[in-house]
Amino acid sequence: MYLFDLGHLPGQQSMLIFHALARMDVEALVVVSPGMPLVSVGYFQDAQAEVDLEYCHEASLPVMRREIGGGATYLDGHQIFYQVILKRDNPRLPGKISEIYQRFSQPAVETYGDFGIETHFRPVNDIVTADGRKIAGEGGADIGPCMVFVGGILMDFDYRAMSKVLRVPDEKFRDKVFKSMEENLTTMRRELGQAPPRYDVKSILIEKFQDLLGPLEPAHINREIVKKMGQLERQFTSPEFLYKKTPKVVQGVKIREGVELLYGLHKAPGGLIRTVQEVENEQIQDLGISGDFTFYPKLELGHLEVELKGSARRPKDIRPRIEGFYQRRQVQSPGVETEDLMKALEVFEE
Amino acid sequence: MAKVGKYDLPDDLHHHKGHMWARLEGDILVVGLNDFAQQLAGEVSFVELPMEGDEVKQDEVVGTIETGKWVQKVCAPVAGAITEVNTELEDEATLINTDPYGDGWIFKMTISDKSEIGQLMQGEAAVEWLKKEIAEHEPK
Repeated sequence: MYLFDLGHLPGQQSMLIFHALARMDVEALVVVSPGMPLVSVGYFQDAQAEVDLEYCHEASLPVMRREIGGGATYLDGHQIFYQVILKRDNPRLPGKISEIYQRFSQPAVETYGDFGIETHFRPVNDIVTADGRKIAGEGGADIGPCMVFVGGILMDFDYRAMSKVLRVPDEKFRDKVFKSMEENLTTMRRELGQAPPRYDVKSILIEKFQDLLGPLEPAHINREIVKKMGQLERQFTSPEFLYKKTPKVVQGVKIREGVELLYGLHKAPGGLIRTVQEVENEQIQDLGISGDFTFYPKLELGHLEVELKGSARRPKDIRPRIEGFYQRRQVQSPGVETEDLMKALEVFEE
Repeated sequence: MAKVGKYDLPDDLHHHKGHMWARLEGDILVVGLNDFAQQLAGEVSFVELPMEGDEVKQDEVVGTIETGKWVQKVCAPVAGAITEVNTELEDEATLINTDPYGDGWIFKMTISDKSEIGQLMQGEAAVEWLKKEIAEHEPK
């Protein structure tokens, strides 16, 4: 099995490399960082619906769809990717996807541990610190004759840049994404006060992977691999592939496992209702309601938001809270009924 | 219905090594993912279906499923043309988990070369093959 210790690779090559090696049936560990920032879109995402492509174009940020699931991500040189490519029948590869994640997360968990950051694997595919903040996200795919597992050590993270590349309904929501990411996502720099040298981190990471995978033979990108990456780059950046429509419906932004920001829009007879919710394990943690409908007295809208905080996102929990609120507070909202508010909150009957 | 370990393996189906099952209904083959594969994959969140009318080769990747950020391939058990896809899966992908041999079917296809059906496994051969797959891939 080979080790491709590649430092920083230009353009989209830091992602193209594992797609190429898997297709070429090459078992390897790749450790690499992007030389320049880029945006990576999940395989099942609709790039036009999820990413602000105009902003990316203006900011000269390339956008590529990867053959790995998950959401849109901002990638830059402060992240060290680990990419494991194994033949499907490799005995080191557990059959169950959940076990692949658990087993192959261990080197990253131990690497963080060697730098004094206590972390653990949290299903389905996150590595989190002792206080529950995500410090690495992982994914995988069957590509060609191989299985590919990928993840990234976060030396540092540009939260602002990440919030800018996402397509969101308004700037208020973008700010919410930024703040929620700051709360739920951490990095080595934040945990330690400063990021350790890249060389030290990747050396330990490789050592930990060798404990798991066995001896790794150093290798370099040859002409054949370059050719394959070139072919894939043309395919992955083609409009047909990048902008293909997918079944995934955009409802918000997943911050980490169990935490997401949802936005809702509903045109009620009384006007347009917008909602932004921070949801943790299907419970509303924070909520903003706005729009052009009449709500009298106007200040009561803030009280309705408070009333719904802490509620489970189920009709049987939400409906009595809204109805009780209307009865107690004597609020009037012509053309906006309980059902309209529920639709704006994206809470539907089973 | 045969049971191999904790996995269902219906006797009347043809089985492909890519963990696809195939049921012959007249001249049409109904295809889905087997119980073993869906249990190992976990909860299916998205399905990318083939296009109706697509001409496909045996073993060709015709679609994908996503489970927990993992993207897996769906392949054709024989050569032919896709005649129908299960659009219910676009709204309820977990049908593959809850009813892999029923409502969780993925696509229907014609068969170009009927001899390819004979290459698929059935009955005892399928049971023996799945036992080997379990020994190799099931979590210890």
